[in-house]
Order: sequence, then structure tokens, then C-alpha cells
Amino acid sequence: MPGTIAPPEIELTIEDSRGGGGGGRPPDGGNDDNDGDRGKNRRDGPPSPRRFSTGIAIGMVSILMFFMALASAFLVLHHGSKVWVAVRLPRILWANTGILLGSSFTLERARLRLSRADVAGFRKLWLLTTAMGLLFVAGQLIAWFQLVRQGVFIASNQASSFFYIFTGAHGVHLVGGVAALLFVLLRDFEKSQISILLAAEITSYYWHFMDALWIFLFALLYLSK
Amino acid sequence: MVTYDSGANHEETPGNGFFLRRLFSTNHKAVGLQYLWLALFSVFLGMAMSLIMRIHLAWPGAHIPFLLVLGGMPGRFATLPLFHGSLMVLFVLTAAPQAGFGNYFLPLQIGAQEMAFPKLNVFSFWATAVSLLGVTAAFLIQLQTGIMLWVASVSVFCAAALCSALNFAVTTIDLRAKGMTLPRLPLTVWAWFINAILGMLIFSILLAACLCLLSDGLFGTHFFSAADFLGSQTASVAADVLPAVWQRLFWFFAQAEVYIAMLPCLGIVSHLIATFSRKPVWKERAVVLALCGVGLVGFCVWGEHMFSSGLNPFSPLVFSVLASSLGLPATVLVISWFGTLWNARIRLNTSLLFALGFVSLFLSGGLSGLFLARHDFTSTALTQDFVAGHFHLVMGVAATFAILAALFFWFPKLFGRQMNEPLGNLHFWLTFAGVYCVFMPMHWLGLVSHAAKNPGAHLASVAEWIGAARSFITAGILITVFAQGIFLFNFLWSLFRGERVEDCNPWRATTLEWSVASPPADDFDAREPIVYRGAYEFNVPGVAEDFIPQHIAPDRVAKAN
Repeated sequence: MPGTIAPPEIELTIEDSRGGGGGGRPPDGGNDDNDGDRGKNRRDGPPSPRRFSTGIAIGMVSILMFFMALASAFLVLHHGSKVWVAVRLPRILWANTGILLGSSFTLERARLRLSRADVAGFRKLWLLTTAMGLLFVAGQLIAWFQLVRQGVFIASNQASSFFYIFTGAHGVHLVGGVAALLFVLLRDFEKSQISILLAAEITSYYWHFMDALWIFLFALLYLSK
Repeated sequence: MVTYDSGANHEETPGNGFFLRRLFSTNHKAVGLQYLWLALFSVFLGMAMSLIMRIHLAWPGAHIPFLLVLGGMPGRFATLPLFHGSLMVLFVLTAAPQAGFGNYFLPLQIGAQEMAFPKLNVFSFWATAVSLLGVTAAFLIQLQTGIMLWVASVSVFCAAALCSALNFAVTTIDLRAKGMTLPRLPLTVWAWFINAILGMLIFSILLAACLCLLSDGLFGTHFFSAADFLGSQTASVAADVLPAVWQRLFWFFAQAEVYIAMLPCLGIVSHLIATFSRKPVWKERAVVLALCGVGLVGFCVWGEHMFSSGLNPFSPLVFSVLASSLGLPATVLVISWFGTLWNARIRLNTSLLFALGFVSLFLSGGLSGLFLARHDFTSTALTQDFVAGHFHLVMGVAATFAILAALFFWFPKLFGRQMNEPLGNLHFWLTFAGVYCVFMPMHWLGLVSHAAKNPGAHLASVAEWIGAARSFITAGILITVFAQGIFLFNFLWSLFRGERVEDCNPWRATTLEWSVASPPADDFDAREPIVYRGAYEFNVPGVAEDFIPQHIAPDRVAKAN
């Protein structure tokens, strides 16, 4: 146990060692006035980049809870209602789903290229992934327009409310994913605290999560007809 | 004083730039203090609201200038409890113990230089401040728009709390100093960590509920309103299903919210009792498990509130058992506190007094909670006064006591000065007596009106006492509020004129925050501290001092002669 007590031959008072890192410590280097982000790397570099992976993992649990709350409200209301008017899902949603699934695939191909140090191939596939993500968002908007043209609005009935809320909330989260994809594409990682490998990995977690979440929501909407 | 990111225009506007940099500083200590100031402002505003309410209840005819300004309508008065509640629950009980003290001391206690995501942290604080502004404005403007603004503000608060909780969780997981293993974490850190996890789960649920409610108001959807297309159905469908969804989502959050407010307080109180008893926390492992248990049960008991709303959910018995099972971790905590205090040479100062006051309130509030957890009791006897008495005692007042204990304890570290002890003692005893005078009669009122519902009860003899009890409560509140004036004076006076603390460890505590200067410099420790032992090594045999700080290497610990 490291918690055991001192070997008896050394005697120092606690007074001496107390405040070991306290005010008396001389500042190291000239940049000790920074209280911002950059002032952190005075120990041995910035804190562990593992914090980004942990952060995205915990964040995903939280986002999942958000959608589960909506889904359980959906199920309770759907179950309790006798006059549930299901939304006729636009056909384009199937195409969108295909595109989103495909984008997960191209994203993994891109990361494979990156791990083989083929940066040009990585950028090409990554760009393709981003484009497919934007295509998905556009497809969702088209689905909205089609519904609006049929006279199905967010306030029409509960089913339509849930349809717009689900697709809207998922869309907002997915746009965040597109922003992350663009960030990895455009950022100069020479100056960054994290490597492009890690950034691509974290983005991929989030992107696959968005993909799976859409499959879940789509299935929920489809099966509740 | 030039930083290399803002050095260019630093010369022209030194005052302005300095001010902005302080205001939007990413430093965890600055953010923590900002949260504490926010909570201090909110607590006095919220207290003023409760004072107005009670004065109005005791002397309905009295003219209160503030209410007259607002139009003096009954609807206006009805918004007072909402305003009081949201201020106290969101901006004091949730913000102060977790985000305030947590932001300041969590990185210090685990030996981290910063929170995991400093910029996210600043965002959390300012979103919280905007939310406070929104809640206050919602109270002042016209009712219908006001309620939408209130919901929007609460959504913003939820988003801020989510970001803050994410920061706490990641910081605790990834940024601990070398040697700071999980069993060596101080109990305060454990509580903040478990609380962050709980917050990640339930604030997202409240956020979803708030967004649905907002879309009801803005887009005319029918998530929670008694929908007109359901209106064509039997009335019972509309009446049963729709409010049920809202209640389920809301209480899922609100019940857990109680534990969100209590968890950090439980950690702080355990920490303080051990430090001032000069003894290790009794059964520390069990206490950690109990804190986890509080978090877990807190997440699962949302159905408990269904009894009170007269709605029978899936199985009342299951929830009743769950709600009562909260007693188990709570009992473990109470036993540990008494076990730690047992036979200890206690240093009785204001900080410990408030911690002990917390224990007392937690016990009496917890006992009345056992009544409420019985589903047959609450379905018939939801009387406002009993419930109000119960949750104010446990949640409001007890948590406030823990916050005050923490403030008296950490004040030397925060500001380099000591708070005045005699004034602190006076403040404690007046507050302690005051809150019991307020909330015990409230329980009694609740029980009396419960009994009044039973046929054959002859309460004529008691009836005349009810009015007197209400006046007594109001008098008690006046005393309590007066005592808070003493606190405010003590706080401000100590801030500027208090006795300076030269020693960086005046309480002779073991955790890492006491190893740095008071207040800690921004670059307090370029060298990462190394942790050698658990957080509560008091009175270890064979050692000269009665405590061993966590960061002192074993070969440097002075041995007893």
C-alpha cells in the first residue's frame, strides 16, 4: 500500500512541505499570465486528449436520453389515443436513409485510408461523406415540403407533431455532425492539440450514432402506422 | 500582463480589455466564483418573494407596494410561488453546490490544472445567467408571453446544466493527478461526479419536455394541451392521457432534481464532518456506495409523484418500495456521520455547526418523507402545507445549510480571509431556530387539514389555532430573513475587512486544494501534484501531526516522537 507511513529515519516537519505548490513557487517561463486555453500546457503538455473521447461518449448518452424521452412520450400518446392519424411517410425518406447509411460506409473507408497515411484519398472520401450528409439534410427538408404541400403541418395532429419534432431534432444534431466533418476537413492539425486521427475517430463515433439514431426514429415512425 | 492572443489591442483599451477578459475568463476558479455570485443574488431575490407571499397570507389586506406596481391581480400573485421556486431550485440549489463550489474546487481537489473543456464551461455559466434574466423578465411581463419565456429560459438552463455536467464528468474521469485513484477521491468529488452523471441523464429529459411545451405554445402542437381533436373523444381520454405525459416527464425530472440538489450537499457534509472531527470518514466505501445509491434511486423514483397527483401509474407498490428504499442509502450516510462524530475531538466552528444543522434537518425532513412515500397516505392527504413543509425542510433549507457550511469552510481559500466566527454563530443559531419555527407548524397544519377530511373528526377546538399558526410561521420567517441580513453583513465585511489568513491550510485539512496559496494563483502549480494516500488520513498513529495531506510523499511525513 502506498498509503503506509514514512520510514522512520527521515524527519521533516509537515510545515516545511505544506504548500509544496503554493504561492512561493517561481513562475516558469514568461507566459504565466495566460488564463485562457493556451495557458494550460505548462505541465507536460495539455491535458490528456482522451478527454475528447470520454466527452463524446458521455454526450451521446445524454443525447440518447433526450430522444428516449421524446420516444416514450410518443409511445404513451400513441397508445392512449383512439384517433391516431398516422403520417403517410414520404417515399424520399427511404432514399435519405440509404444515403445516410452509405455515408457511414464512406466515412469508415476514409478512416481506413487515413490509417494507411493516404491523405489525398482520405480527403476525397471524407468530402464525399460530408456531401452525403448535406444531401440527407436536403432530403429531409424535401420531405417536409412534400408534407406541407399535402397539408400536413406540425400542428395538424399529434402524429405530425411528432414527425416534425423527431426529424427536426435529429436534423439539428446531424447538422452538428456535418459541422464536425467540415472541421476535420478544414482544420490545420499541425497547430492543434489533437491529431487528425483522433479528430476523425471522434467524429466517426458521433456520425455512426446519428445514423443509428435515425434508423431507430424511422423505424418508430414507420411501425406506428 | 500581456497575453499573446490579445496583446495587439491591449495598449489602447487596457481597462475594457481587462474587464472583458475577467468577465469571460475560461479559468475554472473565475467561473466557479461567478456561479456563486449568481446564486447569492438569486437567493436574496427568492427570499424576498417568499417574504411577500407569507406577509400576504398572514395579512391579506395589507398593501404591499411591490405587488401594487405589478398590478396586484390574483393571477400575478399566483406566479410568485413559481418565480420563487424556479429562482431557488435552479439558480441556488442546483447552481451553487455543484457548479459554484464544484467548478472552483473539483479541479483543485483532483490536482487538475483546469476543467476538461474550459470554453464550454464559460458558455455554461453565461447561458445560466441568460436563463436567470429570462426567468426574471418572464415574471415582469404579461402572463401569457411570460410563461413561454419562462419555459424557454428553463430550456436554456437545461442546456447549460448539460454542458456543465459533461465537463464535470470528463474532468473527473480523465484529468485526475497521478496517484489520485478512485478510492482516494475526496467524497466531495465523488458527489460532484455522481451528480454530473445524474444531471446528464435527467436534464436532457427536461430539455425534451420543455421543447415539446415550447412547440405547443409557438407552433400550436398538442403534446400537452387538452387537444381539441381528443376533445371529440370521451373526456376521460383527454383528461387522463395528456396531463399524464407532462407529469411523467416533469416528475421524472423534478424528483431527480431533488437529488441533484442534495447529492453535492451530502458529499460536502461528509467531508466537513470528517475534517472537523479529525477522524477518517467512518466506512468511507459504504458512503461512496450510498452516494451512488442516492443517484440511482433518484433516477428511478419519478413515479412516486404520481400518487400525489392522484394518478395511478403502472404499479403504485413498486414505486412506493423504491421511494422507501431511498431510506437505505440515506441511513448509511446518517450512520456514517454519527460514526465519524463518535468519540471525536470536535472543533465546533460555524462551518461544522451548519453541517450538523444539515444532519438535523435531513433527519427530520427524511422522517416526514417516509409518510409521503406511502402511497395510501399521499393519495388522500396531499395537503399543500405538509408537502411544502417537507420539501422545504429537506431540499431548500437543508441544502442551504450545506451551502453555508461549505462557504464558511472554503472562504479562506476563496478570498484569503476568514469569516467572523461570533457573527457566524449568531447567524447559525437564529437561522436554525427560525427554520424549525417555520416548517414544523407547517407539517402540523398539513396533518390537521388531513384529519379534517375524515368524517367524524371534531376539530373545532383546533380551528382557532390554525390562523395563529399561520401568523407564527410568518413571524418565524421574519426572524430567519433577519438572520440572513447578519450573514450578508458578515460576508461582505469579511470579504474586505476579514482577518487575513496567512496559512494556506488553516483548517489543517488533507485534500489538495489546501496545498496551494489562498486564493490560488492562476498558475498555482506548474508541477503536477502526486497523490500518495486517501483523502481522510486523520490521527494516524505514529505521526506527529493529526493529519497527513494527500500530496506529502510517505518519506516526508513527520513521525511522532
